[in-house]
Amino acid sequence: MRTWLTERGPVAEVQEAIAHKTVPQHRYSLWYYLGGMTLFFFMVQVVTGILLLLYYRPSSAEAYDSVQFIMTRVPFGWLVRSIHSWSANLMVGAAFVHLFSVLFLKAYRRPREVSWLTGVLLLFLTLGFGFTGYLLPWNELSYFATRVGTDIAGVVPGVGEFILTFLRGGKDISGATLTRFYGFHVAVLPAIATALIGLHLLLVQYHGMSVPPSVEEEAARAGRSVPAMPFMPHFALRDLFGWTVALALLAGLSAYLPWELGHKADPFAPAPAGIEPEWYFLWTFQALKYMPAHILGIEGELVAIAVMGLGAVALVLLPFLDTNTRRSRAIVTWLAVGALVFMVTMTLLAVGGSQP
Amino acid sequence: MTRASMGLLVAAAVVMAATGAMRAAVPIAQGRTSSPTAVAPHVVESPGQPPDAAFKDDVHARAGLTCASCHGGPKPGGGYATIARTAIAPLCAKCHADAAYMKTFAPQVRVDQYAQYQTSVHGRQMAKGETRVATCSDCHRAHGIVAVRDTRSPVAPTHVAQTCGRCHGDPARMTPFNRSPDIPGDWSKSVHADALLKRGDTSAPTCSTCHGSHGATPPGAESVANVCAQCHVREAELFKKSRKAELFRSMGQGDCLTCHSNHHIEPPQASWIGLDEKALCATCHDDTMPGAAAITTVRAGFDDLQGRMAAAREVLGRAETAGMLVEDGKLALHNAGEAHVRLRVLVHTFAAAPFDDVLKEGVAAANEARTVGTSAMSELQYRRRGLAVATLVILGFLGTLLVKIRRLPAT
Amino acid sequence: MGPRTSPEPAPASGRRSVLSWLLGTWSAGVLGAIAFPVLRYLVPPEVPEATTLSVKGGSASALAPNSARIVPFGSTPALVVRAPTGEVRAFNATCTHLACTVQYRTDLEHIWCACHNGHYDLNGKNIAGPPPRPLTEYDAHVQGDEIIISKRT
Repeated sequence: MRTWLTERGPVAEVQEAIAHKTVPQHRYSLWYYLGGMTLFFFMVQVVTGILLLLYYRPSSAEAYDSVQFIMTRVPFGWLVRSIHSWSANLMVGAAFVHLFSVLFLKAYRRPREVSWLTGVLLLFLTLGFGFTGYLLPWNELSYFATRVGTDIAGVVPGVGEFILTFLRGGKDISGATLTRFYGFHVAVLPAIATALIGLHLLLVQYHGMSVPPSVEEEAARAGRSVPAMPFMPHFALRDLFGWTVALALLAGLSAYLPWELGHKADPFAPAPAGIEPEWYFLWTFQALKYMPAHILGIEGELVAIAVMGLGAVALVLLPFLDTNTRRSRAIVTWLAVGALVFMVTMTLLAVGGSQP
Repeated sequence: MTRASMGLLVAAAVVMAATGAMRAAVPIAQGRTSSPTAVAPHVVESPGQPPDAAFKDDVHARAGLTCASCHGGPKPGGGYATIARTAIAPLCAKCHADAAYMKTFAPQVRVDQYAQYQTSVHGRQMAKGETRVATCSDCHRAHGIVAVRDTRSPVAPTHVAQTCGRCHGDPARMTPFNRSPDIPGDWSKSVHADALLKRGDTSAPTCSTCHGSHGATPPGAESVANVCAQCHVREAELFKKSRKAELFRSMGQGDCLTCHSNHHIEPPQASWIGLDEKALCATCHDDTMPGAAAITTVRAGFDDLQGRMAAAREVLGRAETAGMLVEDGKLALHNAGEAHVRLRVLVHTFAAAPFDDVLKEGVAAANEARTVGTSAMSELQYRRRGLAVATLVILGFLGTLLVKIRRLPAT
Repeated sequence: MGPRTSPEPAPASGRRSVLSWLLGTWSAGVLGAIAFPVLRYLVPPEVPEATTLSVKGGSASALAPNSARIVPFGSTPALVVRAPTGEVRAFNATCTHLACTVQYRTDLEHIWCACHNGHYDLNGKNIAGPPPRPLTEYDAHVQGDEIIISKRT
């Protein structure tokens, strides 16, 4: 069998590459598992997502009822749906931890700039997945959370109106929005994500794992190379271990903390009190609340969005902004710490229900 | 012509002119109201407003009538003459009992109000010269009269009890007539007041619904059941066919009143049925009399159904809080509730037989609801057990994997 | 006893093969625990769709003119009526007054609520008594011998 395949494709070359792949071993090695963890959650999403596709109906009249149908009448439908919802959140969490670990361990340095780029884009895609997927059950919370979220998009001057209409498929949230979000969620975003993940993984294989500057310097001073472990089987089995723990976690969460369905969306009802977006958007939501009405004559909200937009651009361009001197790297570290503290504080404040 | 007859002719002419002015179909566009002059203070019906200001909102003003239309010309010193209380109803009736005249303002309008009034207790007393009873202006106001459907009207359904209550709830006014002043208060505690005033259900009866408005008279013992039957058709039907109807009539009991009272009508409870001292039936029945068996059976039936519904509700609630969806159970519970309503109607047969059939249906529905709830809970347990098994398998795998990892040759 | 010529690995490979066997079995278990729910999920349930937009209203031939039946529709009852003229109509059977379930009166040839004597005509319009609003009407189609009632979107 193997020889048959070997003749017909680059099987031998791939096997060789995997057999020789090594992973550096040092005190920060644990963080190497996070990328794979994010990938694992993504794969869970793809599988559970495809399963959900078989029964879900993307129209405003039927969406909610089809999700209820999945949860009550389809065998193990409750499990598939709860895993999908939990895995989505865990994927976003893993993606952020992966981002911050790369930031702190400076893995974006030359020659890994393109890996970084694809990674940041993947993060934005993940948030996009979360935002579009959240609307699909068409329940009260998701309807109003989407309305608030797209409202913010409309604040941007000039293109804001266009972006809002483009996202909503019209002036207001309607069945058209649902269909559009569904299309983004199951076709557009997955296609782009697959391409980017493919590129990201390929580049990771090509460059190998980055070693943090401090470890590199230590090894240089001691005059030896950084110890490494073979990818296969050492790292791979440990990876598998982590993934299996994650699977058990997902199953446990689904059985003990099943994902709620809530009430069907009623566009004509007033928004219930305390509408907020999913936890990974809470920090922006809370930060916007603290903005004063006007700053130097510009609307406070607009300033906040501009700052966040600039932050996103800076994130994308980070490898080019960091000159890789000790000082430059330290600045990045402190900025990252600041950003992390800010995001965590804002999230906790939002969860605690504090109002400005 | 003699001076007297001249005078009489002039007087007649004046009267005719006055009535003619009153009856003149003045186009609304021209609506004349007399200019306000200093008015001697008199009975003010519209709260806090002098008559001329109140009259601006009046339907009669919009129809083109003026102060003079009812009061006659102004007095020499200013102001208008007060109309005697006994003269008010006949005055209003001059127009409101004239079908041809009223039709010019509204095509479909009743003109029997005065005739009805004359049959009422208020009308009969007023005719005898007793002015301490209600006449038109007491309920509709003298000035600022608006349509009955206008929510500002004192006789709009939501205000009727308040308006009647101004006299019928006032001990000072009721004692001279030997009547209880408690009735409006009683009614305000009833289910009907709750429906009308709290839920805004304008189909709920107020004073005039049962007693009539213009022909207000308490319904007599024979007609109480007929009055309630306007809405409570089934109960009345069953009651009339039951043995109680004949019995109560012979005892002079007012049918529905015996158990439900007339004004302070409370939500009926299963505890009213029984032979214990708190039960209503025990007022007449004891366990030696015929009917004891039926009473006990019916009460047991209610207690059974209510108990089962409560149990079903409890388990469905728990299942729902735990995240299980129980729509089927809720539908079954709804059906059990429907059966319960029908059972409360069937009480009025005062017999066990038809009651039992519906009870069986209700019990079956309540049991179904409970089954849905308990199977949801056991499904939850099944899921958790399945998870435990899957977790054990995963843990076994993880354990073995860990050993394998440990055993790998050092790098 | 001669010098030991057999190499160390023999017991180790025994342990290794036990380990491999164990690992293989447990991983089969894990894969089975994943595959079982997935495969069961893929098989369509008995009632293949949510009965929320449309539901079966029973046999058409068994519904004579001037008669009606109640069928569950989602979590509320629905009234399926065949008018004296032969037309099939369907309504939400929840009375708009205080939510009792209405019924069809063959003597009155229209819909009635026993709780407080509310009357509705065959268009669902409230014509007498306390009900403040008409009954919600559903679309009713006859397919073969089956009546299908569906919500108007």
